[in-house]
Amino acid sequence: MVVKGRGHQVLPDCSRPTLPGVVSERACVFYGARWMLAAVPDVIHLVHGPVGCAYYGRTVRRKSYRLLSTGLDERDIVFGAGDKLFDAIMEAAARYPEARAVLVYATCAVGLTGEDILRACKRAAGKIGRKVVPVNSPGFCGQSQAAGHDIAAAMLLEHFIGTGGKRELIDNAVNILGEFDIQGDLNEIEDLLSQLGLKVNCAFSGRASTSAMADAHRVRLNIIHCRRTGQTLADAMRERFGTPYLKVSFFGPAETTSAIKVIGKFFGVARVEEFISRANQKAESEAAPFLQQLAGKRVALFFGASRIGSMAKVFGELGMEVVMAGSQYGCRGDYQEAEAKVANGAVLIDDAHDKELAELMRKQRPHLLVGGTKEKYLAHKMGVPFLVFPQEMGPFAGFRGFVNLARQTAGLVSGPVWRLAHG
Amino acid sequence: MKLTEIPVDGIPYDHLRIEKIPVTPAFAPRDPELLPASSRVLVVNPDRICMPIGAMWAVLGIHRAIPFVQGAQGCTTYARYTFSRIFKEPATIATASFHEDAAVFGGRMNLVEGLRNLVVRYWPEVIGVVTTCSSEIMGDDMTSFIGEARMKLQAEIGPERTEQIAIVPINTPSFAGSHVEGYDRAAKAFVQSLATDRDAPTNRVNIIPGLFYPGDIREIKHILQEMGIESTVLFDISDTLDAPLEPPQSIPYYPPGGTHVAEIKGMANAAATFALQLDAGGSGARYLERKFGVPAVVGPVPVGVVATDTLLQNLGKATGCATSPALRAERGRLVDAMADTFHHTMMKRVAVFGDPDYVSGITRFVCELGMTPVAVSAGTESKNFAAAVETVFSEYQSLFLDPPKVFNGSDLFEFEEYLKTLPRLDLIIGNSKGVDIARELEVPIVRAGFPIYDRFGYQKRPIVGYRGAELFLYEIANAVLDHRYPDDRTQQL
Repeated sequence: MVVKGRGHQVLPDCSRPTLPGVVSERACVFYGARWMLAAVPDVIHLVHGPVGCAYYGRTVRRKSYRLLSTGLDERDIVFGAGDKLFDAIMEAAARYPEARAVLVYATCAVGLTGEDILRACKRAAGKIGRKVVPVNSPGFCGQSQAAGHDIAAAMLLEHFIGTGGKRELIDNAVNILGEFDIQGDLNEIEDLLSQLGLKVNCAFSGRASTSAMADAHRVRLNIIHCRRTGQTLADAMRERFGTPYLKVSFFGPAETTSAIKVIGKFFGVARVEEFISRANQKAESEAAPFLQQLAGKRVALFFGASRIGSMAKVFGELGMEVVMAGSQYGCRGDYQEAEAKVANGAVLIDDAHDKELAELMRKQRPHLLVGGTKEKYLAHKMGVPFLVFPQEMGPFAGFRGFVNLARQTAGLVSGPVWRLAHG
Repeated sequence: MKLTEIPVDGIPYDHLRIEKIPVTPAFAPRDPELLPASSRVLVVNPDRICMPIGAMWAVLGIHRAIPFVQGAQGCTTYARYTFSRIFKEPATIATASFHEDAAVFGGRMNLVEGLRNLVVRYWPEVIGVVTTCSSEIMGDDMTSFIGEARMKLQAEIGPERTEQIAIVPINTPSFAGSHVEGYDRAAKAFVQSLATDRDAPTNRVNIIPGLFYPGDIREIKHILQEMGIESTVLFDISDTLDAPLEPPQSIPYYPPGGTHVAEIKGMANAAATFALQLDAGGSGARYLERKFGVPAVVGPVPVGVVATDTLLQNLGKATGCATSPALRAERGRLVDAMADTFHHTMMKRVAVFGDPDYVSGITRFVCELGMTPVAVSAGTESKNFAAAVETVFSEYQSLFLDPPKVFNGSDLFEFEEYLKTLPRLDLIIGNSKGVDIARELEVPIVRAGFPIYDRFGYQKRPIVGYRGAELFLYEIANAVLDHRYPDDRTQQL
């Protein structure tokens, strides 16, 4: 944990394993893999492990997905479950014949028993004539969910991306890397891109069917939206297919404006300015009453690392002062980006646990904490309003998303309940 | 929302707009051989979680207690999410943070260091060490590790302060049983390690509520208070997981309430132990009976008139206290409400699913209401459940033409497919995992059981006791009415 001062840049210690025995806000590798892959629609998701992992893994970003499981019991742990996995894949394929592939998630239990998942997968793939791909995601095999994001991205690259034949470019098509389509964010972005005459081939992994992924190498441009998950994919795709990429953010009018400008420039689209200034004006006038309520209010951020930099900037645009920026997992680059956007005296922190968060809420006295559901109710008990991010209601991306964010933030900060609570 | 087409599997409802064409246009009928859970290895939409979360639930019901999960971070984080979503409360659960090194060398360092780190940061009074599949497969020897951790703590914070911290190991391998058994094992582990002497017998009773919500526990306490019985509720989550918002709070945050260690120690001295759920908590009650001769009264689940009557009688027998006029009036009001709503509940065909004890309790109550259970499903396999529902069905034979279908240890996929074959279904009663099923079948759902995370207030609204049953009855009757007469211009009561 570091405090931003006026001198040279200081960054928090990061990319370190969690101390055992604390109430960590981090999750496991399996969680990260599910975060990345849950939204892939036309494949069978099969968890090879005890039933609990499948039960928990069904819900990702507050949405329920179908998730099958081998439901390992004691016998399977003792005698091995390779055959069981094979049978399960066969049954799943018989039940969902429309699925294009099978993803088999490895969990802690099979990681420890040393199950040969690959063999079962290969055997089954030969029988059902479709891809059966293991996702090597035992919960313990990394420091946090970030390792799971990387494992999932590597798996997609190896087995799904760009498998659709020769690289004949599709006109005006782009991929968005690291966009999970939370509460309609992707629609907002798509609307903006359509103003430039562009269409989205594939968004990893908010909208990534196997056929779209197979064609992913045929786009003219990759747009990285979330760096954590997008950068790996973008680098690999540039190396392999020569697809160029641009790193942008669609959060907040300033970033959205520059994003549209650079993308427009890449495609040589004229008349971008007019559209942008119209959208900007509209957003500005709609958000104005909310900005009034937010001026000078303090906000603390604690969520996925690659978004804290861009979100810190957005909250700055709302007229709020970012007094804390932290994440469960982050790399130096993430914190460098965030550092540049927070106020002097703001705290930067990596892998804060529950008690540290409570202490920081007392010390930094934010008017709003932004983070995940786990932290929400602790913040409430401390008397701090809370905004769940990734969001629960409506998009935050693009111009309309900004107005929505302003509206929700203003509503939360000025909520009557907090006066009553402190009364 | 009425769905006009069958959704493409794997795509959530709000995404349907995006990909409406099924990936394979040819319709593939389901293989009937693959439907029964017993004849396949695949688990689809399980209605049970793994053991550790049940044990964590239990530990959270103890005053100033923190569960310590000997596993990877996800085992803790997913459970904290689940608790937060159900109770809308913070859940403080520590993790041993297994990484690769733990998988190679075992979890000894994680536990020894972890307990030390937890103690110096949070100063808990009780730590429940909850194992997982990882630590059980690696064969972590909890007893010796905890001994080592205690020595380390003694050296650092002194023997006196170390003595004040109770550390209870609970073995909950995730690959066996379910959350119900996890709770059961926690109940046994706590009485085994803390209630060690029967030195001064009292007239108190022990209550092990099982996986009931804060509202239910409050209702049980109300009954005990009305009867003038002093009690120890083991795993009393009524305050810890339903705490008032009163900032500022002390740091680290501990919710008020919970069972105190001294109370658990005194459980060996009680006049009787009542386990309200047979599968969740029964072992704790039986252990006390075997070891100290404290009579164990396991079940019936006190939902509905008869089951609550039985509970009151049993309480009276164990303590010599009589029921109060207020309780009799509550019973009268419940029966009155049953008579008033009867026309709308009678002969309604209902399907019940969830944890075995919830289902057996609710099944009895819906039979009392004159409803016809057509299918009952327990997500966790249980002998008690099979026996309990069979008893209910034989008592209320007049309600059935065909015997109801009983699923024991099935998943929701099988349950759903069965419901689709029924000619008529009026109501589903179960937890939040059944909302999709209800929507697909266009049948109303009444939420009850574990977990409920998609609506507010169910954690505080009891279904046990007379008052709880009355509230539950209104929920059922109104669901039937809402569905049948969505527009009050068509029909008024």
